[in-house]
Amino acid sequence: MIFMSFISDFSIPAVILIIVLVAYLKGVPVFDVFIEGAKDGAKTAFNILPTMVGIIAAVSIINASGLIDILTNLISKPLSLIGIPSETAPILLIRPFSGSASLGIFSEQIKTYGADTYIGRVLSTIMGSSETVLYTIAVYFGATNVKDTRHAVAASLISSYIGMLASIYICKIL
Amino acid sequence: MLNTIWVVMIFAGVITGIFTGRMGEISNAVLQSCINSVNLVITMLGSMCLWSGLMKTAQKAGLVNSLAKLLKGVFRFLFPGIPKDHPANGAIAMSISADLLGLGNAATPLGIMAMKELSNVNNDSTVASNAMVMFGVVNAACIQLIPSTVLIIRQQAGSSNPSSVIPCIWVASFISLVSGITAAKFLEKFNLSKG
Repeated sequence: MIFMSFISDFSIPAVILIIVLVAYLKGVPVFDVFIEGAKDGAKTAFNILPTMVGIIAAVSIINASGLIDILTNLISKPLSLIGIPSETAPILLIRPFSGSASLGIFSEQIKTYGADTYIGRVLSTIMGSSETVLYTIAVYFGATNVKDTRHAVAASLISSYIGMLASIYICKIL
Repeated sequence: MLNTIWVVMIFAGVITGIFTGRMGEISNAVLQSCINSVNLVITMLGSMCLWSGLMKTAQKAGLVNSLAKLLKGVFRFLFPGIPKDHPANGAIAMSISADLLGLGNAATPLGIMAMKELSNVNNDSTVASNAMVMFGVVNAACIQLIPSTVLIIRQQAGSSNPSSVIPCIWVASFISLVSGITAAKFLEKFNLSKG
């Protein structure tokens, strides 16, 4: 456990230090290059805003309408029978399909359940370890001539759900 | 694709709202969601700058190239059939290292470039090659060394130690990645065409 918290405390500062130090020793004008990249980051963040507004508005309609609650109630009983906490049902439902929607649900839920509780840690692990499968596959293959993606979606969904279900057990152990 | 999902979400929400009698709540929620979106983007703005800046620095320092060399053996197994000096190798390495650093949005253009190179190896066919599917799966299951978005949201939610979940995230990502690779290697033996 001490080792684990050592890793989590050290990872961010260590990555920053290694990148900056190696670049500096190789004679890269570190700060100038950093600012150049940071500007791209700012642009990307602003470019996300319209998408965020559109998706979060649609998600808020679904949330306020009670639809997610209805769907969650439908699947949470069967889920809890096999040891999956019912609080994770909404994120399990939506994570592979919409990144912004799951981010919205995640930031709401983590305030409700608390970031340092078991549920909060499971939700964080699910969010941090999974990707918006459908978006990734659609965007990546959309840039090519490919019409038939074969087993890409199936394999990605398998990978995504095994990872998400594993999160529930990993957070009990670590 | 997103067009259909968007309409279905709004349609399903409004229709459900009619039956649950929550149209007033929906109106308020839509207006509040705009404010929430701006807050979310403002919160992410700073760290997007930080990580994009660091990524660019890592590129210029040649750390990205070193990573490509480091990953060479893995590539041989995951993406067989790519000629040794084909630009696809470098493109895949760039994309995966951007994923590792958790720069989803910076990684997307790199990933698209890599997929185009893989398509080129596949003679720009309309049917995806095994290597292309594998690249898509690896990207969709990719390990993030530092999941910055999750950490910021945890901090905002008042976590006393936001980064305490990093080891859990690494293990979960690794399991997801291994099962994705296994699933792709297994499924490629069958002819799963959807037309």
